Amino acid sequence: MIDEAESSHPATGLDEVVHQRVRLGILTIAHEARRVEFGYLRNQLELTAGNLSKHLSVLEAAGLIEVEKGYEGRRGRTWITLTPTGTAALAAEIGRLRKLIDRIGTTITEEDR
Amino acid sequence: MTTDSVPAGDARRLLSDVRSLAHRVRQDQRLTWVALLVLAGVTFLGIPFDWFGMKVHCLSDGSCEFARRGVLYYWPPALLLAYAAIAYSYVRAARARGLGARVLPYAVTGAVTTVVFTALWVAAALYLPSHPQAFPSWVMVVDRLFSPWGMIGIALLVLARLERNLPLLLFTVVYLAVMLMPLEGAFGSETHWGTRGAFLPQQILAGTLLLLGGIGFRRAARRQR
Repeated sequence: MIDEAESSHPATGLDEVVHQRVRLGILTIAHEARRVEFGYLRNQLELTAGNLSKHLSVLEAAGLIEVEKGYEGRRGRTWITLTPTGTAALAAEIGRLRKLIDRIGTTITEEDR
Repeated sequence: MTTDSVPAGDARRLLSDVRSLAHRVRQDQRLTWVALLVLAGVTFLGIPFDWFGMKVHCLSDGSCEFARRGVLYYWPPALLLAYAAIAYSYVRAARARGLGARVLPYAVTGAVTTVVFTALWVAAALYLPSHPQAFPSWVMVVDRLFSPWGMIGIALLVLARLERNLPLLLFTVVYLAVMLMPLEGAFGSETHWGTRGAFLPQQILAGTLLLLGGIGFRRAARRQR
């Protein structure tokens, strides 16, 4: 018997908060870096400060990241850390994307026959 | 970058973005050349300690007994300080770039390997003088692995894994292969400088390899920026 979750198309399980290019990028960088500063994210993702702030707010509201504001000397710095929920969400999203690619690959192969 | 949700058909591109971002972060976190240069410095500095700290007692039949006290006194604190300095440099550099560091497991491995090597050398120093024996060649390979120079290689393997750094992995494999070779007395060092000189080739080669590796990784890092 085929499990219902397994038989459903991987695209139906995609989380809209995570399945967004910029937000997926933020989660990826935060995961890889353990802890990342606002300026690094802005440079790597080529975003304006306002745009990045909006995406961070969405991720923070979803409980996927923690934002910590502080000072280094006189300079204000904002550090972003992935929460355990964020780590799980990122892993799930990457898993779904891989499944989707496999599914697309299988469909194309079947159509070729 | 767009702010719209990407259709499922773009999964391949999204995954490719994820991979390239992760790769860039890992590259920005690396400070491989600092680790190698610090270890090279510690290795070269250890040579006079080994030379002057070695107790050599030659018998009338021409054979000599020796005890490498300098290695035992110098290397444990030197390695612990080196790993602390490397960890500090990594954290500082990563922080300046706006990133966290992933060096702690390397520093912990370095500290553990230092304790293991020290324990084995102390045990050998206590046991062997009263139980002199000739060891088969494979035991000598294990002995070289548990030397400070071998332990540096083991910890570097952990660093290569942490950083997912293939060039460092290849460098470490070559380094370890050289360190496990029987280099005692190589290049006529024992003939020229006696028992003390027999241990020079391994240390000079270790220091030179680490130094060259440090310079190479420094150049590669500069080219990438």
